[in-house]
Amino acid sequence: MAGLELLSDQGYRLDGRKAAELRKVQARMGVFAQADGSAYIEQGNTKALAVVYGPHEVRGSRSKTLHDRAVINCQYSMATFSTAERKRRPHGDRKSTEMSLHLKQTFEAAVLTNLYPRSQIDIYVKILQSDGGNYSACVNAATLAVVDAGIPMRDYVCACTAGFVDETPLADLCHAEESGGGTSLALALLPRGGHIALLQMDARLHQDHLETLMEAAMTACKGVSKVLDEVVRQHLQEVSALTGE
Amino acid sequence: MTVVVLPTLVESTYCKSLWISAKSFSACVCVCVRAGDRLCSTEDCMPGTGVYLRHGYIYSSLAGYVLRKNEGEELPVISVVRETEAQLLPDVGAIVTCKVRFGELLMSTTDVKEDVRATEKDRYISVSLLSGAQMVPISWCEMQCPRTHAKEFRKVARVQPEYLQA
Repeated sequence: MAGLELLSDQGYRLDGRKAAELRKVQARMGVFAQADGSAYIEQGNTKALAVVYGPHEVRGSRSKTLHDRAVINCQYSMATFSTAERKRRPHGDRKSTEMSLHLKQTFEAAVLTNLYPRSQIDIYVKILQSDGGNYSACVNAATLAVVDAGIPMRDYVCACTAGFVDETPLADLCHAEESGGGTSLALALLPRGGHIALLQMDARLHQDHLETLMEAAMTACKGVSKVLDEVVRQHLQEVSALTGE
Repeated sequence: MTVVVLPTLVESTYCKSLWISAKSFSACVCVCVRAGDRLCSTEDCMPGTGVYLRHGYIYSSLAGYVLRKNEGEELPVISVVRETEAQLLPDVGAIVTCKVRFGELLMSTTDVKEDVRATEKDRYISVSLLSGAQMVPISWCEMQCPRTHAKEFRKVARVQPEYLQA
């Protein structure tokens, strides 16, 4: 698009951020009293809501039961009002199914499922407003919701996207930067150990740039993890102040 | 029916309702940790609940407070607890109230002192009522109480020797 530079000469992006700057992350835990765990996160203009139920007995088909660990059931959906044009089919389409599968794989790597054999943990995530980084917002919201539910995990799962423009890696892409046609890498990381839970890349990237891009994504994930950590500690202190400990 | 949980595998998923008496903590709570925090090495402490082991170190798996309990001469037990009152799975020695949906476990509301065993695939639930009189199987369909010598018609399931407790 003429005149729309993803990275200006002075090093500013479309929304005024620098190349490695993350969007403002705000989150709240325990937003639903009736669910076992819930969380709401805003990453810039992307808003995601995650709800966790479990661990409980396997509902539906008993054949899904695993004898030695819990089954994680994820469902991703977008609100019809979340995108610029009203979404006709919020769930059940191919993208939602793929996203649900990715979330399931991500959390199977982090949650200690062997502590709850023959049970099921449900994670439902809904995008309320979509402005790029949908998967990352979902993962971060779901991490907070799982922590809120008290389900043991190896480590937090923090996710962020990264792109590559003019030999410079950009962290935390917004919708305009994602749909610009350039590379978009989504990374879900367990920050303490540096383990990667999921790595996904769209479009093409020269092999020489991959390491730089990965480094930028990992740094961005660690930045997100600091914010999530702060949110959890604050929530714990609020709860303990309420219960009077 | 009051049940005392013995140190065997107990599946809480097969119980419709489950209440656990609150355990009182004596040690102090102080440090606020998050999942993935390294607490100490396995040489310093024994792992309790809410933690996991990796490469000889103990890491927290919950977001909560660290609890260190001294057991005497053994290493102290380190665990991470949250604020909530109910624990998900009962510990050994906890008093639970259960209702069983299916299986050979019977619920008795009378004063008859009975001991019923039920085995289900690879799990073993042993129930001992307050009096603790254990019935002995005589044949495949009869059990006898050793004290009162009263016989009862009960379907006797053969317990595999490795699960049999003295």
